[in-house]
Amino acid sequence: MATINFGYTISKPRAIDIDRNNLRKSDEILREMPELQSCIGCGSCTAVCTAGNLTQFNFRRVHTLVRRGEYQGAYEEMNKCMLCGKCRLVCPRGINTRGVVLLIKRKLGDF
Amino acid sequence: MKKRIVVIGGGPAGMQTALRLKARGMEPLIVEKEAETGGKLRGWHVLFPTFTPAGEVLAELRHRVREAGIETMTSAEVVSFTQHEVALADGRRLTADAVVLATGFTLFDARIKEEYGYGIYDNVVTSADIERMLDEGRVAKADGSRPKRIAFLHCVGSRDEKVCQQHCSRVCCITGVKQAIEMKRLFPEADVFNFYMDIRMFGPGYEELYREAQQRYNIHFVRGRISEASPTIDGGIQIKAEDTLTGRPLRMSVDLLVLLVGMRANDDNAALAAAAGLERAPSGFMAPRDPFLGNVRSNVGGIFYAGTVSAPKNIGETLNEAAAAADAAVDYLNA
Amino acid sequence: MNFYAPFCLPFILGAAAMFLTLLWKWGRWLYLLPHADKLRILRGLPTRATLDAVGEVISESLLHRRIFRINPLLGYMHMSLAFGWFLLIAVGWIETIAYLGFRYVPLQGHVFFKYFATNLPHKPAFELTMDLLLLFVLSGVALAWGKRLRSRAMGMRRTTKHVPGDRIALTALWFIFPARLIAESTTCALYGGGSFLTGSLGGWMAAHLGTMTLVGLETAAWWFYSSCLGIFFVALPFSRYMHIFTEIPLIFLRRYKLRSGEKESSFDRFQTEACSRCGICIDPCQLQSVLDIRDVQSVYFLRDRRYGSLRLQTADNCLMCGRCAERCPVDIDLNTLRLNARDTMRNVPDEKRYDYLKGLDRSSGSGKTGYFAGCMTLLTPRTMQAMARIFDAAGEEVWWADRDGGVCCGRPLKLAGETDSAHRMMRCNTELFRKHGIATLVTSCPICLKVFREDYALEGIEVLHHSEYILRLMRAGRLAPNRGTARFTYHDPCELGRGSGIYDEPRAVIEAIGELLEPAHTREDALCCGSSVANVAIDDGQQLRIARSVTAELERSGAEVIVTACPLCKKALGRGTRREVRDLAEIVSEALP
Repeated sequence: MATINFGYTISKPRAIDIDRNNLRKSDEILREMPELQSCIGCGSCTAVCTAGNLTQFNFRRVHTLVRRGEYQGAYEEMNKCMLCGKCRLVCPRGINTRGVVLLIKRKLGDF
Repeated sequence: MKKRIVVIGGGPAGMQTALRLKARGMEPLIVEKEAETGGKLRGWHVLFPTFTPAGEVLAELRHRVREAGIETMTSAEVVSFTQHEVALADGRRLTADAVVLATGFTLFDARIKEEYGYGIYDNVVTSADIERMLDEGRVAKADGSRPKRIAFLHCVGSRDEKVCQQHCSRVCCITGVKQAIEMKRLFPEADVFNFYMDIRMFGPGYEELYREAQQRYNIHFVRGRISEASPTIDGGIQIKAEDTLTGRPLRMSVDLLVLLVGMRANDDNAALAAAAGLERAPSGFMAPRDPFLGNVRSNVGGIFYAGTVSAPKNIGETLNEAAAAADAAVDYLNA
Repeated sequence: MNFYAPFCLPFILGAAAMFLTLLWKWGRWLYLLPHADKLRILRGLPTRATLDAVGEVISESLLHRRIFRINPLLGYMHMSLAFGWFLLIAVGWIETIAYLGFRYVPLQGHVFFKYFATNLPHKPAFELTMDLLLLFVLSGVALAWGKRLRSRAMGMRRTTKHVPGDRIALTALWFIFPARLIAESTTCALYGGGSFLTGSLGGWMAAHLGTMTLVGLETAAWWFYSSCLGIFFVALPFSRYMHIFTEIPLIFLRRYKLRSGEKESSFDRFQTEACSRCGICIDPCQLQSVLDIRDVQSVYFLRDRRYGSLRLQTADNCLMCGRCAERCPVDIDLNTLRLNARDTMRNVPDEKRYDYLKGLDRSSGSGKTGYFAGCMTLLTPRTMQAMARIFDAAGEEVWWADRDGGVCCGRPLKLAGETDSAHRMMRCNTELFRKHGIATLVTSCPICLKVFREDYALEGIEVLHHSEYILRLMRAGRLAPNRGTARFTYHDPCELGRGSGIYDEPRAVIEAIGELLEPAHTREDALCCGSSVANVAIDDGQQLRIARSVTAELERSGAEVIVTACPLCKKALGRGTRREVRDLAEIVSEALP
């Protein structure tokens, strides 16, 4: 039987252990883009996402995991983004989502 | 001689303020822009969380105003005012010893959120439309048929920087729950979904109603904000959201999409505040002198606030605050 | 005749250093040009382009015609310094020839001729001409001093903040001509000669100063003059004044059809160093005028890029609206340079990226005409609905490329600098268009339009913006909207107007439907809505502030309805105003019978 893919591709199925995770990169990202902290997780970005329409890319999920210190695979995930900017047009918190994609890729290129 | 207090706005806040002023020996005058009193309560069907008909509350308020012999001017629009004088659009000027501003709010225009399709597609309606349809006793799809699947979307024009409305309108959450139950009562066979970012059940009986909606009426709650609506071939609406609790995009077709529109600061606030020297909050609502001991006083002596002119409120809060505003005005004049 | 004195040394050394550096720079840049560019130069040399370039050098490098169009006083200032100095040198050579005939005179002999020519008979006509020219240049220097104090008088609200090297060169330049005046005047005081300027000042000196003082002063003044020249020449290749000797080859290369591209090339050097840092690009920048961001404008971008100190933050912070490029007196291709700098900083070739696009097709319908809504248009369904109605009314069979979501056109990614990946998306869409065999491609999004026209290989497919398409239908009688009494104003989207040169078509469509009232800034000078996808640096609040400043101006036109022809502009402007903001397609669709 084929395994069911629940879309959890970028983190291992274990608890997010904030005690063990190294939050240095996450702190750097939030220092450069403090507005990311104001995300209320409404999912609008992911719902409109042009790439998310075609792949399992989930912008909200990836940047939330990054903020928790889960960097594994974040760069590859963010690389699915086409940077079309629809998410920025709908974000109710006015987060510079395209800037977030580029920032995370810049900071986490080696993860 | 009795002191004359002009109450601008003849909605629940204005009527209740006037009643209290009269009871405390003042001479209130209600100035209402529309042809009749009642404000936005007029278009409402029943009130949350008790399903009390809005008409009952309104009729009682009007009855009391009439009984108390409170002078009421209708179809009289205020263009500017100060503590001592209120100027009307037709050029008349009313003298006053104090003014209570009870002009309420402006309903968010859902057409601005173009991606939801209000005013573009049939079968996308607002919560205000639903109340009117309930009042008229005819809730149906545009073609007159019974909806089998209904989606409510919370926070339309609230908590949304993209439409410059950062504040929470508070009452839409419970309105969504209430209307979802009403839909389920009308169409027991229909599936009803609520799409929300956060559910804020701030009043007595609200959380209980939320539980009732889930347990007794089997109403579905999906945590995710709808991002787009588009028409389907059969006249329905396809909606897209992220089901954030599963982390996956969600699509579904519905027969009716109800947008729970928020309360925006009254469009007249800017002009009135400029003329009277009143301060406004960044949201555009009037800013009370302080949020605790002076929450019905303005920054100008002799001018008071009642109801949603200063922030989104429900009817109960509005009526309480109206009494408080009246008391503050009387204390001010007696001091 | 001896043409050497010790004071000449700073000048000789400075000039030698400058010419060597110039030769090294030019040689290196030309050597590093891509092969194709070198061929272009060789092919272009014997053609008319060379003559045209000479003409342009005269009108731009000497006369500064383009700056005159921006502000006459500013133009005069630049012209008096450039053209005046050039004439001083040219007439100086003629003067030498007139005195000495055709014989070899070393460079310093021409430049310091007055010092060496004291024993020759006077030629008053030359002396008058040289004094007039000196006055011409001095008037420019005076204006330059004045501009530092009051830039507004020359139509500039803000001027450039300079680097130390520039300040040294600038100071030296400011002193060159006053120093020349004093030096020549002291010589005139001692030996006579000179005209109304040097002669009169010399006469006054002779009357008030003793001979010994004058002799000392003369030596000091010529030393000072020579040193100013020397310092200026040494600093020149490393300062903004490099533009003097870079604009000339740039003009020639441009005439030979060399262009900057999406990847950095040696030709870019000619562009970056041709920037004189005049600062004319600062005022039109809305990041400056609305947001008070003062260190990212093209002049600073080019400066940082030239000195290798460009930061991503600076490269990113630009709306790429093109308002500065429109005004640049050197006509530098500012947006392309900004783009290829981003490419250098951000492009990561990744062959596997976007593999998920393979074979993707979510299109619907069929017809020779394709409609590509674009990602943003999916968020403005009123535009989509209007287009559907227009296609219907014109009886057009339409293939809908992306109504149910599609692949982004690639321009946003390209604008961010991820050029190679952007091309993968472009290939995917190109294949899709080819597969469905369309002959015309209509889009409502100017961002898509620009990339379709400039980066896609769509031979055989005509790409049209919906404004062009609608106008064509109207002119062909296939669409007959009714004219009403509504008053519209029109906001030019950057990518449509300055970006693609489409100004008239949307206006013609609006005028067929109602009255068109232009805002204060319009057409080539139109403002940017502030939400440009080219800028990932400014935040939401800053975008909103720009939008509000733009809508305030649009409202002042007195129109009830603001019309634009870009989904992004529409969304951005809608946030700034309570007035109705409509897409062009909407007002057409509503005016249909």
